[in-house]
Amino acid sequence: MHAAPISRLINELSRLPGVGRRTAQRLAFHILRADDEEAFALADAIREVKEKIGLCEICQNLAEGPRCRICQDEGRDRSVICVVEEPADVIPFERIGEFRGLYHVLGGALSPIDGIDPEHLKIAELLHRAGAEEVREVVLATNPTTTGEATALHIAGQLGGVVIVTRLASGLPVGADLEHADEVTLGRAFSGRRTL
Amino acid sequence: MPGTFKTEAVVLRSIRYGEADRIIHLYTTTRGRVNAIAKGARRPKSRFGGRLEPFFRCELVLYEGRGELCTVNAASTLDGYPALRADGAAIDAAARACDAVLRLLDSAEPNLLAYNLLCRYLALLEAGEERLEAALAFRLKLILVAGFAPELAACARCGERQDLSGFSGAAGGVVCGSCEAEGFSLSAEAHRFLVGAIGNPIADVGGASASALRQAERAINEIVEHHAQVRFRRASRR
Ligand SMILES: [Zn+2]
Ligand SMILES: [Zn+2]
Repeated sequence: MHAAPISRLINELSRLPGVGRRTAQRLAFHILRADDEEAFALADAIREVKEKIGLCEICQNLAEGPRCRICQDEGRDRSVICVVEEPADVIPFERIGEFRGLYHVLGGALSPIDGIDPEHLKIAELLHRAGAEEVREVVLATNPTTTGEATALHIAGQLGGVVIVTRLASGLPVGADLEHADEVTLGRAFSGRRTL
Repeated sequence: MPGTFKTEAVVLRSIRYGEADRIIHLYTTTRGRVNAIAKGARRPKSRFGGRLEPFFRCELVLYEGRGELCTVNAASTLDGYPALRADGAAIDAAARACDAVLRLLDSAEPNLLAYNLLCRYLALLEAGEERLEAALAFRLKLILVAGFAPELAACARCGERQDLSGFSGAAGGVVCGSCEAEGFSLSAEAHRFLVGAIGNPIADVGGASASALRQAERAINEIVEHHAQVRFRRASRR
């Protein structure tokens, strides 16, 4: 139906998450109509990110070069490691500015239903890091979802006795109504209550 | 015909979708397997809270439009299994059980026996039952209620009742010594385990050696591969 190069572009675009056949076609025609400079800038950006960005050899976060900016920062506290699922999960912690330690990015969460077992995540790398003498605490900040919880419990089991292992508190979101809270959340919020 | 309906369901799987939504795979009492979208479920202030996380047993109000996905309008908890959620091995077992349900029961036909079986197994995990024996008994009962029960009393090939020393998925059950060539050898202990697992409640299933459990799992897998054209994931991470 389309000339071969156009079909190829539509095919490639439709592999992107959340992009169906029709959206891919719309994007392809947008790129065709765009001037050369704009279209090549997109192609170059894709090439550059694939060539220059890899995983930090310490924390497994995305990095330009062997180490990410956070791991290179001499001012960070090397005795605490905050464990998150994805690179994007580092950003909210950096935004609040309260955490001055280092991170460890697992690259996902344990999910047997998706075929994701411990060996598919950067767990061995974390256990290795946690064994270093300078490390005092590992904070498990995986998502408060079933898969995030499974991941935190698995890592806690592996790290037992090696370092102090903590888990982010879970409870009621600020600004939400109690009546919408599910029973598991409410139960955890109750058992995690504190004196005022 | 678009409209809303009410059903009880267990959440088998939950997938992030778009900016803040979730697509959930459900096993319902009234319509078997249903997929639905829960809009805004990932926002912290969502009225669904954590109710649409895997393994929650809920009362749901679903809207069925013209598309393939229903929309979740309301959810209330029947059972959240909080103790299961605090135990990594139990979460793993529950996820593998839900995966087996997803693979084996993919139709919109309700199957109340399968639904009740899943709820009973989740309740056992909640109570701390984490043995591989229980996980395999669940799978065996699941293939039974799905209509693929293996023949365990007589040779599935020739009807012989003595010398049942093999198992053949193609034949559909245990096989005798002279028919064993087409199957694999099944120890007396593994055979006893399968018979006990079918005949007793999951909680009462007897213990068995690791090698007997390996053979039992292989027998279960071969039955579903040959007769339901489905492959199960391993019953445990180990
Ligand atoms: Zn780093
Ligand atoms: Zn025979």
